[in-house]
Amino acid sequence: MRFSMIPVVLAQMLKKPFTNKFPVKYAPSSPSRFLEKVEKGEIKINPPVPVPERFRGRITYDKDKCIGCRLCLQVCPSEAIEYKTEEKKIRIYLARCTFCAQCNEVCPVSCLSMSNEFLLSDTDKYSNSLIVE
Amino acid sequence: MRGASKTTYQLPIGPIHPALKEPVMFEFKVDGERIIDVDVKLGQVHRGIEWAGTRRNPIQILYLAERICGICSYCHPMSFALAVERAAGIEVPERAQYLRVIQGELERICSHVLWAGVAAHEIGFDSVLFLTWEIREKGLDLTEYLTGNRVTKGITMIGGVRRDITDDMVPKVKQALDYLKEKIDKVQHVFLNDKTIKLRCRDCGVLTKEDALKLCAVGPTARASGVKKDVRLDQGYFAYTDLDFDYVTPDIITGEVKGDVYDRVIVRLLEVKQSINLIEQCLEQMPKGDIVSEPKIPKLLATLKRVNGEGIGRMEAPRGEVFHYVRFTGTGNPYAWKVRAPTYNNILPWIPMLLDQQIADIPIVAASTDPCMSCTNRVAIISNNKRYIMNSEELHRLSIEKTRRLSI
Amino acid sequence: MIRDKQLKPEEIVQSFKDAFTTNIEDSRIERRVTGIKKAGFTIIWLRVKRESFKDVVKHIFTFDEYPHFAVTSGYDMNENIELVYHFSIYHGSRGREISLNITVTLPKNDPSIDTITDLLPGAVISEQEKQEMLGVIVKGIPKNQRVFISDDFPEGVYPWRKDETGPDKHVRNLHKEEDKKT
Repeated sequence: MRFSMIPVVLAQMLKKPFTNKFPVKYAPSSPSRFLEKVEKGEIKINPPVPVPERFRGRITYDKDKCIGCRLCLQVCPSEAIEYKTEEKKIRIYLARCTFCAQCNEVCPVSCLSMSNEFLLSDTDKYSNSLIVE
Repeated sequence: MRGASKTTYQLPIGPIHPALKEPVMFEFKVDGERIIDVDVKLGQVHRGIEWAGTRRNPIQILYLAERICGICSYCHPMSFALAVERAAGIEVPERAQYLRVIQGELERICSHVLWAGVAAHEIGFDSVLFLTWEIREKGLDLTEYLTGNRVTKGITMIGGVRRDITDDMVPKVKQALDYLKEKIDKVQHVFLNDKTIKLRCRDCGVLTKEDALKLCAVGPTARASGVKKDVRLDQGYFAYTDLDFDYVTPDIITGEVKGDVYDRVIVRLLEVKQSINLIEQCLEQMPKGDIVSEPKIPKLLATLKRVNGEGIGRMEAPRGEVFHYVRFTGTGNPYAWKVRAPTYNNILPWIPMLLDQQIADIPIVAASTDPCMSCTNRVAIISNNKRYIMNSEELHRLSIEKTRRLSI
Repeated sequence: MIRDKQLKPEEIVQSFKDAFTTNIEDSRIERRVTGIKKAGFTIIWLRVKRESFKDVVKHIFTFDEYPHFAVTSGYDMNENIELVYHFSIYHGSRGREISLNITVTLPKNDPSIDTITDLLPGAVISEQEKQEMLGVIVKGIPKNQRVFISDDFPEGVYPWRKDETGPDKHVRNLHKEEDKKT
């Protein structure tokens, strides 16, 4: 059949768009003021798409549980974990992290876990928002 | 030789590939519009991965191997794990073998559907591109649900897998598979019955069975020429030896084997159906048990430190046979590691495929072998001793114009 | 290709030993099982001397008319360079394929070996790669050009070697340089 795509194309015009929508159609000029207005209820935004369970987002580190065994350093593929010798605790550089969660599995006291946060961008690789300790 | 007395043009197409926007370099000798000779140059994106592997222990290398290629990002760490397990003598539990099959086939579905969209785009059929990529989104959603990420899944571990498919996850998997089944039927109907696609692809870029065997072609490129080569059936690994399936060659639908672009389209669409069938068989037959042979990682690392031997691992990626070779000498880090992606064997068959074709056919013939080169170059065309570089937009435009000419 | 008679792994190794006697230095048959039904497959490893290497490759053609050549791996072992050629035969029917790995040792002061592109045209990329990465000289190679390294990389530096011709002087660790700045 020569024009077998035409019924599909016509049916598409009546369906909802398949892509997930951004929170708002046009980017606001000041995000902080925009977020205040959303909290007060003045502006409605499209709800965010939920992340799946056991999503591997930003790493969280429970400092008190850590025993300083350095097993996580041995398995990190990109050398993103640094050991602080005096304190016997670690420091994680998110700029090098590959989000593989291998350190979570190795840790014998389970002090590392992955959260749901994924909005992590920054302009400086070594700024404080990208170092976990 | 035909073109020797007249002036021949040589066209170099520089490091942006016409079909997949990755860097690869070809030099074509052209007489008018017809191609006479082809020369291949590779290596623009060489990253020194094998050298970096000698400085890391095997668990770190799993994540390094994953990033060799984005679309076959499951096959490289899996064949590395196979090679290490064979060198060290580690036994994989049975449930883990079935889980590995399921993840592999899911990746094959996503990759072939992506390819179908790209091939349609090269012909100029953009509405089919969007139809197929809509299907792929559901496949990627399923991958994200099972592994946590769409690409670079991070599910391989030496001795098993890292995540299980529990009983409450199975209904969602089955729902996604049903959706994929009905949509793939629609795509197959479009590809096989549309006259434009037949006119454009039939008898274009032919690879004979003799050439495919001599040049050691692999994957769907070889199977479309009638060569029955498939690592899952020939040698078997994981749980494929328990499942019921057969080689996919184009004579299942058309009755004869020609080895052109149309045959490769048929082979890939049939393989998607075969993959869905395999996943369903696995979900029924999967036994209960452990998912990894050694859950404590420090113990695994200590075992791997004492290994002294060599091993090979071969797997059937969506594009062909992936090959890994590992040699240990008792220090923990591998002494030597060799990776061979399937596209290297599929590059030399480009030469007989492209002889006597027109320049406007380069994108579709190149795309039909599904090159996944993390190191390909641009195509350079040398014309009348004047080298000029034709970039991907121009080639793409030529390809679309030829389609319009044929359909009017 | 399914031939009329497919040999067992022991018969294959015996056929090599009969044809080449002392030139086969070592042989090993590795048997593995997979799946619930424990289906088996075999991998054969042979170590041959350099002089008879090309005849050994020709002998493989007596088992299968079109053997499949995967790749050549190579590594640097102190005074020698070892190359491993990976073939496989008997594809086309379920569960019958046998992998064949042939190891050849080359001394570093004379690292030359014959080409096999006249028997298997698909091997040319692999041989070019060994020439530029390890410094092997392949006699009779059809196209002598670099395949993965760019043409302006210095001559005489072989990235896979671990001795003084290795690439260690050309390596920069960007992460450590960044740390020095902050």
